[in-house]
Amino acid sequence: MSNTLGNTGSMPDQAGAYLRFESVTKTFGAVPVVQEPFSLDIPAGQFVVFLGPSGCGKTTLMRMIGGLDTPSSGRILLQGQPVGGPDIRRGMVFQSYSSFPWLSVRKNVEFGMRFRRDMTKAQKRERAGYFLDLVGLSDFASSYPSRISGGMRQRVAIARTLAADPDVLLMDEPFGALDANLREDLQYELRKIQKKSGKTTIFVTHDVEEAVFLADRIIVFGSRPARVMADMDILSMVGPVRDETLRDSERFFHIRTDILHLLRGRLREAGQEGA
Amino acid sequence: MSGASSFGGLLRFRTAVPRMAVGVAALLGAMSFLGAWWLIVALHVVAPIFLPSPATVARAFWTMCADGVAMPNALISISRVWSAFLLSAIIAVPLGILMSGYRIIGAFLEPLIDFIRYLPVPALVPLAIIWFGVGEETKIFLLWLGTFFQLVLMVAADMKRVPGEYFETAYTLGAKPRQTLGTVALPAMLPQLMDSMRISLGWCWTYVIIAEIVASDSGLGFVIWTARRFMKTDQVMAGVIMIGLIGLLTDQCLRLLHRFLFRYQSS
Ligand SMILES: Nc1ncnc2c1ncn2[C@@H]1O[C@H](COP(=O)(O)OP(=O)(O)OP(=O)(O)O)[C@@H](O)[C@H]1O
Ligand SMILES: [Mg+2]
Repeated sequence: MSNTLGNTGSMPDQAGAYLRFESVTKTFGAVPVVQEPFSLDIPAGQFVVFLGPSGCGKTTLMRMIGGLDTPSSGRILLQGQPVGGPDIRRGMVFQSYSSFPWLSVRKNVEFGMRFRRDMTKAQKRERAGYFLDLVGLSDFASSYPSRISGGMRQRVAIARTLAADPDVLLMDEPFGALDANLREDLQYELRKIQKKSGKTTIFVTHDVEEAVFLADRIIVFGSRPARVMADMDILSMVGPVRDETLRDSERFFHIRTDILHLLRGRLREAGQEGA
Repeated sequence: MSGASSFGGLLRFRTAVPRMAVGVAALLGAMSFLGAWWLIVALHVVAPIFLPSPATVARAFWTMCADGVAMPNALISISRVWSAFLLSAIIAVPLGILMSGYRIIGAFLEPLIDFIRYLPVPALVPLAIIWFGVGEETKIFLLWLGTFFQLVLMVAADMKRVPGEYFETAYTLGAKPRQTLGTVALPAMLPQLMDSMRISLGWCWTYVIIAEIVASDSGLGFVIWTARRFMKTDQVMAGVIMIGLIGLLTDQCLRLLHRFLFRYQSS
């Protein structure tokens, strides 16, 4: 429990927690979504990307961490404790409806602190200010979400989640609806913010480049029922520094191509099975 | 040239037009209606006893206002509409929210409410008179009956339409399910809720006239019905127009209020 964020409003922030999947399966009615028992250890502070084709069960796995769905069998442990229903320790950022339209940007960021009794109003305000600054939205604090761009709205959601000080940060295709340039900017910022905050992060996407740019580690899923095709240590492949030169580097290109082949090969195989 | 092209622009499919054009179009619409009416009377298509000219109706309207018939009766109708409407909203809003928030309550009440809301209000007038006589209670009861059951279901639907992501986001930000009622459900549904209430207020106007025609000695419905007995078609029409104007005015005020309260929404 170290103060990883500096002065965030007289309240030390939780460092990330470690997370563990133990033989998790999930069936909706009679439909198996995660059929093969899924096990995974995620150390504290790691940035993990779940990458895979549409419908392979990424969202389902993420929702189970958040406590929004429960595993059909197996369990998920946070810092050694089985997770229950949703709470403030697992913060979630959705792709759509991410910020509350009826609240100003500042009130959105303060939303997660609203339910805390151990902070004064001034402390909440100060802390919200810190995170608004962190995502570069201080000038828009009193704007409403409908008046700012889609990328800014996602940044509001990220700031709001961080301000609530969760142990893990869960993001389900948060940049899915944004154009390419904006996406790249936000990826860069998110990576920086994540390293600064030290929050264990799980990020879902089906964009290979996004995955490689952001991740310490990528879990590549095959199409349903969900199956892990690869567990890639991106940190040791490209190192911790992520900037625009990385995108143009040969290494980046090769990793990207390898993953694409992996995904395509799986698709081709599935096609042959079907034929 | 530019006039022609900008006029063509007005007819482009699903395209915004200047405010000015909107105002002019509305005015033209009203004037062509009045024009057609005037023409029909001027050409003696219909006898004046059935369709008096716009001028005659306007005069009747003015007389009714001047000799103190219109205003007191309009106020009576307005107060009936609003008391019945408030009475139904005060119960319907919490109940609708409960029905949508707790699915079991919804399952319990929905078929029943669905049944009652299909009962036509006029068919219940005799029953209301048997129960309450011809006093104020009967009218309020009829109006309440006509709006309450519709409104409950609309409120429940408004709440159901709040995206699940809002609730789930709130949970992962530390809100307990009950706390999301005030912090998420209500603010998220409020614009819709206000629209639903505005619509049900409109229904109240329909029913108040029925109630006043059948069982009343005051109110605009009574005024119209009395004028009919003496075949004063101009007064009947003046009364109808007054109801329309009150409705239009109320609706526009509520719309303005809506736009002011929910100006955070994208336009
Ligand atoms: N509540 C549910 N009931 C029934 N089936 C569901 C439910 N939620 C998800 N599924 C099914 O589970 C499968 C996996 O869904 P999931 O949303 O986890 O996939 P995903 O990997 O996130 O896909 P995408 O990239 O398109 O978001 C889908 O085929 C979906 O139809
Ligand atoms: Mg998904």
